[in-house]
Amino acid sequence: FLLAFPSITLIRTVRFLPLFHVLISVKGPWIPVSLFLVYKIKTQMDEEIDTRKINNSFLRDHNYATEADIISTVEFNSTGELLATGDKGGRVVVFQREQESKNQPHRRGEYNVYSTFQSHEPEFDYLKSLEIEEKINKIRWLPQQNAAYFLLSTNDKTVKLWKVSERDKRPEGYNLKDEEGRIRDPTTITALRVPVLQPMDLMVEATPRRVFSNAHTYHINSISVNSDYETYMSTDDLRINLWNLEITNRSFNIVDIKPANMEMLTEVITAAEFQPSQCNTFVYSSSKGSIRLCDMRASALCDNHSKLFEEPEDPSNRSFFSEIISSISDVKFSHSGRYLMTRDYLTVKVWDLNMESKPLETYQVHDYLRSKLCSLYENDCIFDKFECVWNGSDSVIMTGSYNNFFRMFDRNTKRDVTLEASRENSKPRAILKPRKVCVGGKRRKDEISVDSLDFSKKILHSAWHPSENIIAVAATNNLYIFQDKVN
Amino acid sequence: MEYKVEAHRIMSISLGKIYNSRVQRGGIKLHKNLLVSLVLRSARQVYLRDYYGGICLSAQQAREWCEGEYMDSEQDKLVPGSTESLPESDGQSEVAVDKQEPGNVVESHAALDVESEASGEQDHAENGVLDLGCSELKTPEESLEASPTCEVSNVVTTISSNCISGPPPSNPKQAAETPNGCQTDDGESVEENLHEPIVPHTCTNRKRSAEDSELTDSLPKKTKVMSSTLISKNDEKKVDTEEMDTSNVSSLITIFGSSFSGLLSSEDGAQPDSEAEDSDSGQICCDQMLKNLNPWSTAIVAF
Repeated sequence: FLLAFPSITLIRTVRFLPLFHVLISVKGPWIPVSLFLVYKIKTQMDEEIDTRKINNSFLRDHNYATEADIISTVEFNSTGELLATGDKGGRVVVFQREQESKNQPHRRGEYNVYSTFQSHEPEFDYLKSLEIEEKINKIRWLPQQNAAYFLLSTNDKTVKLWKVSERDKRPEGYNLKDEEGRIRDPTTITALRVPVLQPMDLMVEATPRRVFSNAHTYHINSISVNSDYETYMSTDDLRINLWNLEITNRSFNIVDIKPANMEMLTEVITAAEFQPSQCNTFVYSSSKGSIRLCDMRASALCDNHSKLFEEPEDPSNRSFFSEIISSISDVKFSHSGRYLMTRDYLTVKVWDLNMESKPLETYQVHDYLRSKLCSLYENDCIFDKFECVWNGSDSVIMTGSYNNFFRMFDRNTKRDVTLEASRENSKPRAILKPRKVCVGGKRRKDEISVDSLDFSKKILHSAWHPSENIIAVAATNNLYIFQDKVN
Repeated sequence: MEYKVEAHRIMSISLGKIYNSRVQRGGIKLHKNLLVSLVLRSARQVYLRDYYGGICLSAQQAREWCEGEYMDSEQDKLVPGSTESLPESDGQSEVAVDKQEPGNVVESHAALDVESEASGEQDHAENGVLDLGCSELKTPEESLEASPTCEVSNVVTTISSNCISGPPPSNPKQAAETPNGCQTDDGESVEENLHEPIVPHTCTNRKRSAEDSELTDSLPKKTKVMSSTLISKNDEKKVDTEEMDTSNVSSLITIFGSSFSGLLSSEDGAQPDSEAEDSDSGQICCDQMLKNLNPWSTAIVAF
């Protein structure tokens, strides 16, 4: 009977401070958010358990501690029971929803820390003299098939399949080893016994089951699990590779837009996703603002798209930065698989798969930034990659903005709201009030002017529970979880 | 004018970003650098349009341009002609005219004519392109004094002049030589003309003779092309790698250290050297390097 030890030593302990629980509700019946939890991910640099090797410490500066806490991805699993976050320090934290209990009906389904592990380490590619960041770019859950949970996490170069499982029993009574694991002197063994499983404190352990490496020359920006539950794809700037979840030493290249002459490069791939119900269909978005839908049945190498979704540029909006703001930062299929949502710098667009010429709906996220593009270019904010999410019924879409604002758009009523993820503005039983950015000269009382926005506080990553109105919003190193109001 | 200054500033910022990307953690990010290079190219197009008007003309070039036919008589022909040929373009290109160093008489004369046109066309066209809202109008003298960054900008314009996909530097003096009737959409010849960098750089004198003969042909075409370029962002002509001015390349390389042969030779400003570093390891890396080698960057390729 073999014990599977986690092969990664946790280098830093991570402290979670559940700050307070607040009941908040939002005006307007169609966006129910209420219960308010905040988890602040904070690194505790613990010297005695610092077992970093020489090469790691060469790369890691202790000053990175704060930056390492910045959350870089958020993802619910397919049932919504688990919520995973990845951060710049290469750690993954998994939250689990509490079972609802009759004893405490008002504390309905809060999320608590379930497991923490170091998924990726900083690496150094000696051949190319390149440092490989350990930042977790994406996490995707696999559908649950047994008691264990599986997720894929990726940094710039390597995808790993992690198994998160519970252990509440351990074997005791080995013949050749004593209870501490030391080898017993065979001459002292006089009788044989059968090891038995004894109950123990519940332990959640994470083990890396597969490591998919050395397949990407450029930086991986997305991964997507196929609906066949056998394959997944990983996407970098110029290529998309298809993997079998079981096989780590081989992948198939299905899209390659690298030009023969790199000097002719004009666009890169920015995101890709499988269609949720058809295992042969996927889309990928480009830095030029186009989305291509490909069918893997057509050919082994899907360089020729089946559909091209592109909207002609509005010439009146032309500026130096037109190319940058038209670059798509995220693409998501609706749960139905019928619609596509894309996010570029200033807008969110919903596309109908049956109409390639223009999007079905376009929503302005923060159009007041259009006149500030020059400054945003200088401070690099214009390169921020915002994500976008659908709600479970595909009726509401959500995306982030600056100043810890995030926006929700109701596709049916065409109403939208701006909310802020901030502790200062929330008190117990307070109403989470919608925020408004004032563009004109005259600023009303509760409005905030464009120049007062804090561009260092940006919400790039968020997630929506697959069936309920629970959202997880990452604001730098804080994770906010909003939930329906309990009546 | 203010647009030129703004374009110049954006170019400097873009170059700074590209340079800093080399030392950032995680290696050079292809996507971001591609976007920065696109901005750089757009800014350069705008900048060069005025550049050909002679912001940083060398003395020799200025003298040549001022000789004989480039003078007042052409001014009269020019101004109305320019307006004809630039129906959609703004007045900046004409404003840029008056930046010749020698011939102040010419300047003022041009300025008078130009400003009347400029006022009419200022609000047109390029507001979307150039209304960046963050620069002030400067006099020609002031912009000439933007010398600290002049070297960088000179280098940049030289480097990226190969990448021109049709920005017509409407130097009216030169345009006057060929009446603006010609509307040739001969992209090939435009490209070829552009390959002789009409670089008002103090170092680049040897291409002058070639320039002069081609300038007159190229500029009217460029004026037409520019208006369409502004509108179609995807209107990119694939420019073949051309011989670069070695001195300018060297200075750029000095600035960046290494890995920028792509920016030198590609209109899109991709960085094949950096790409080569990122690309397939081992054998393939070497092949990539070899493909992208330019003679003057041989020394720089490390692997």
